[in-house]
Amino acid sequence: MMNNNIELKAINKTYQKSKNSTDNQVVVHDNFNLKINSGEFVALMGPSGMGKSTLLHLIGGLDKPTSGQVIIGGEQINNLNESQLTRWRADNIGFVFQSHHLLPVLTAQANVELPLALTHLNKSQRKHHAATALSLVSMADRAKHFPKELSGGQEQRVAIARAIVSDPKILLCDEPTGNLDRKTADEILSLLAKLNKEYGKTIVMVTHDLKAAEYASKVINLETYTYDLKAHNVQEARL
Amino acid sequence: MSLFEMIIKNSFRKRIRFALTALSVAVAFFLLTLLAGIDHALNSNIGGNSQFRLMTSHKVSMTQSLPINYQKKIAKVEGVKAVTYASWFGGYFKNEKNQLAMSAVEHTSYFSLFDEYLISQPDLDSWKKNRIGIVIGQGVATEFGWKLGDKIPLSSSIWMNKQGSFSWEFVVAAIYQTKGASVDDKRIFFQHRYFDKSRAYGRNNASWFSTQITPEANLDLITNQVDAQFNNSSFATRTTSEQVFIKEQAQQFADMAMVIKVVLIAVFFTLLLIVCNTMVQAIRERLNEIAMMKALGFSSFNLIKQVYLESFFLLSSGAFIGCLLANITLSQVQKLMSNFLSGITIDPSYYFYVFCLVLFAAFICSFFPALTIKRLMISNTLGAKQ
Ligand SMILES: Nc1ncnc2c1ncn2[C@@H]1O[C@H](COP(=O)(O)OP(=O)(O)OP(=O)(O)O)[C@@H](O)[C@H]1O
Ligand SMILES: [Mg+2]
Repeated sequence: MMNNNIELKAINKTYQKSKNSTDNQVVVHDNFNLKINSGEFVALMGPSGMGKSTLLHLIGGLDKPTSGQVIIGGEQINNLNESQLTRWRADNIGFVFQSHHLLPVLTAQANVELPLALTHLNKSQRKHHAATALSLVSMADRAKHFPKELSGGQEQRVAIARAIVSDPKILLCDEPTGNLDRKTADEILSLLAKLNKEYGKTIVMVTHDLKAAEYASKVINLETYTYDLKAHNVQEARL
Repeated sequence: MSLFEMIIKNSFRKRIRFALTALSVAVAFFLLTLLAGIDHALNSNIGGNSQFRLMTSHKVSMTQSLPINYQKKIAKVEGVKAVTYASWFGGYFKNEKNQLAMSAVEHTSYFSLFDEYLISQPDLDSWKKNRIGIVIGQGVATEFGWKLGDKIPLSSSIWMNKQGSFSWEFVVAAIYQTKGASVDDKRIFFQHRYFDKSRAYGRNNASWFSTQITPEANLDLITNQVDAQFNNSSFATRTTSEQVFIKEQAQQFADMAMVIKVVLIAVFFTLLLIVCNTMVQAIRERLNEIAMMKALGFSSFNLIKQVYLESFFLLSSGAFIGCLLANITLSQVQKLMSNFLSGITIDPSYYFYVFCLVLFAAFICSFFPALTIKRLMISNTLGAKQ
């Protein structure tokens, strides 16, 4: 990747509610444009159903637009096929969801190691990488614990460690603090801010939490968002 | 975390469910293995050369003899490879209580047709040269303690010799071993030409003819042609195939095996449903994790492979337990039925068959989970909402 710019051009995303009727379409995004620069920490806000998650899925290659281009780091990913996308995700994107989706049968360490199974790293290298990622999220002392032995905040930290272990340039977070209390949420958000500032990760975070948005370097509110094609500037939302 | 560890850990998530499912697999393979053991016994009793051997005897009664020259006449029928003959001696040792399964056989051809009796070439040659020689089974040798070269007087309850005595003189010339546990090791054979020269009456007759036919020959056609030849003579014949002969005895077992087979098909069908259901459930419980792994960059193929291996592990654990228990059971059954039905063992190739069966069943059982994984939309499954 030459840069980590995220560009959405003339995106149209339409869902078909039922297969046999044509009028039952849900247009989530119509001619939507967005540019996020490398190294930004963007908070994506807006009312429920506005298509925030949908955007995140498009950027992360989990879903494809009905039309338009998704260009990440100069590569147009909406043309990749299923297996190319899978490979691409492993190399470039880290995901953090509201639910951690850790594998209950694996320890924190093994969970973090999981994405490295797709790399050429050997066993000791994988161990080392996972341990580093865990210490980065201050969970080194819990490496041997199983998810059910951890608190919600700790689980989310492990999930973040898993998202960053293969060193992706972009982190996509969908309401990462949605299940957490204020104090724990603040810890997680500081952690994300640290990953952004100190490790240069580009972060796109969907959130409903105004306080969470304060950690971001930029806020985009989909409800009021318009895109100035000429200036390529994203209008700051009024909070 | 190796793939293997991952499979084991996933398998044991729901231990009780795993154990119960594996147990039902074990029951199915237990039955299958039992059947294979009994089937093996049946097949080893009717298999081999006997499949292609015909037996021709007097149409009316086994006790009546046929002229020896029938050998040449039968040999002329197309599809016949070799013909030999034998006569029942009705022998006993010292006391009529010590009945012996003893027959006079045409010495040049008999053992090439009946290759289930294993005789070393030098022993066979020396027996052929020794007019009063007998070939005895290892079972006979052990029972009476007879060795090669021993002179043994044996009596017949049917045949008087020219000296007017029912006691005949013999020398042990060869001891045969058996091919497979199902072959009788207590028989005694001696030369038909000695029998013919020495008996006081009934010369140039034999009790029955054994005919070997070529594998591709039509059994029924030959049977009919042989009998048709002698139909109008004073010695009409009745020809049956040995297979039919022995199969009649084993029919009851075969019927039983058939019933087990039908039951077994039902059992395996149910088994597939059970394991399929287990796997579908197991995957459904993990949809979120699977979607997460997909998001992390695990390909559908990779995840499907894991499900396949998990099914395979479940099925093979059950199959292993089932086969093990069946083996223990079969060895007990063999002890109990050694006189009745011998050769109850499991052929090593059976385990290869089981292996293939497990591979295939694992394929079937991971089919629906595989479809689910393939179609799983990450974006739908991993929404923020839970
Ligand atoms: N697979 C789908 N099929 C049909 N409609 C869908 C599908 N996925 C999303 N939608 C619709 O698209 C719209 C946007 O959904 P999305 O999940 O992106 O919203 P969101 O902004 O993330 O909402 P929330 O804040 O509640 O998470 C919604 O109206 C939703 O019903
Ligand atoms: Mg959402």
